[in-house]
Amino acid sequence: MIALFWASVRFQLQVLRRSPDYLMAVVTIPLLAIAFLAIMKNAGRADLAPYAVLGSTLMTVWATALFVSGELIESERTQGTLEGVLAAPVQYQVLVLGRISIVTVLSFFGLAESIVVAWLVFGYLIAVPHLGLLLLTLLCTAFAMVGTASIMAGLFVLARSARIFQNSLSYPFYVLGGTVVPIALLPGWLQPVSKIVFLSWASDLLRDCLAPTPPRDVLFRLTMILVLGAVAFAIGHLLTKKILRRVRQTGSAGYA
Amino acid sequence: MTVLRNNARVLRYAFTSAMADMRATYTWKSWTFAWLARILCQVTLFALIGKLLGSPEQVEYLVVGNSVFIVADIVMMVCATTAWERLAGTLPLLVSCPSTPFVVFAGRSVQWLVDGLACSTVSLLLLAPVLGVSLPLGAALTAVPMIAVISVSVYFFGLTLAGLALRVMKARNLVGRLGSIGLMVLTGVQVPVTFWPVPVQYMSNVLPLTHGLHAVREHLHGAPLPRVLALLSLEVAVGTAWTVIAFFTYRRLVNSGRHDGTIEFGG
Repeated sequence: MIALFWASVRFQLQVLRRSPDYLMAVVTIPLLAIAFLAIMKNAGRADLAPYAVLGSTLMTVWATALFVSGELIESERTQGTLEGVLAAPVQYQVLVLGRISIVTVLSFFGLAESIVVAWLVFGYLIAVPHLGLLLLTLLCTAFAMVGTASIMAGLFVLARSARIFQNSLSYPFYVLGGTVVPIALLPGWLQPVSKIVFLSWASDLLRDCLAPTPPRDVLFRLTMILVLGAVAFAIGHLLTKKILRRVRQTGSAGYA
Repeated sequence: MTVLRNNARVLRYAFTSAMADMRATYTWKSWTFAWLARILCQVTLFALIGKLLGSPEQVEYLVVGNSVFIVADIVMMVCATTAWERLAGTLPLLVSCPSTPFVVFAGRSVQWLVDGLACSTVSLLLLAPVLGVSLPLGAALTAVPMIAVISVSVYFFGLTLAGLALRVMKARNLVGRLGSIGLMVLTGVQVPVTFWPVPVQYMSNVLPLTHGLHAVREHLHGAPLPRVLALLSLEVAVGTAWTVIAFFTYRRLVNSGRHDGTIEFGG
């Protein structure tokens, strides 16, 4: 299984060299960061620059995970190879996870880009007073992100058009996940819903990593990200298994 | 006259095909509860940023800007859908047919105009009051035709980028996304155009959406009609310029493709 995972990672790296679309995040993160930073600067709120930098990164990493998990199903379908992949004697989920993981991990480099953009374009120096914790949180976030993407990859096989999900699961989660705006500013009735979205825990902790005061309840918050990620992995695994059984029975995996 | 009639017929068929694509992508349920909900969340996110800044004026600026931007964001999908034509292997047929491919492509993605206008209108008329932005109802209603004008000018800008995307198929989504975010950053959606350095402002002024959005903002603030119409005329002028550029982009694509054999089946 581990060999298959690494093989799919290597395969995706080969694909990335020929398909710049998969690394859209590298280009879009700085642009989104510029949009958010401009809003903050125009309002005279330089103190909110870290929100802009982290928000643009989390939004794009989420969008990339969605894009990749949807796009690889769509492209397998378009090329007529999805049935072959599903029929192969390997676990489909592991194959997909390897491909999503590498793109997700690479897209996190956008954070460094955003920090550079904030400095170059707006002259904002984003301090990282808790670098170790920031890296640890990013690692946990990547784990949960890939877990969540595994649910989507399953749904995309079932859906008539993966693009509906691809296009629709972005902004609702940016709001619920507190990517740019802390969930404390959401209406009270929505805040409990946010708590079951791993992004809300991740974005809060990441913002605290950029604040001068030491973050509180670190262990609990990291655990929450990991637990929600693990739950997502479990749901993704069960869902994909069920969906694959169904499309094999109904013969509805490909377009034909 | 015959040429005009033929082009109108081609446009009609392209429109029919575009709407069939729309029906194949969305049911009314998935459009309303998935797509429209996502769009409304997009505007809500920016309204929340305004709230975070602690300024009702910012909330209004961002809600109006992003409600109108929605139409541009959706219309920019023309880049992806135009590129699908090459993926489907139909580009050589379009090039060899007696009609002009530009006319086909001009009608082939109009579903996004309908979609974008619907989403933008719902956002401006229904979501804005929910987000605490009270716009004068009459002005908000009459802003809808202005948004329609914006949608057309953005459409031809997107069509130009799509012409470029047809040459770099592997970056087709990237081209559309860059175009869309570029418009979001530079055309006064999030911050006034005057926020940017002067050379950037020059670029903003030749992009679609800039003058149209300005016209909508002025109109909602009760500016006199001649002022609003002057701004809208600028939007029309920019849109017309992009239509001409798009026409030549496709003509060059077809001519160079015929010359070097890159109008291939498959893509």
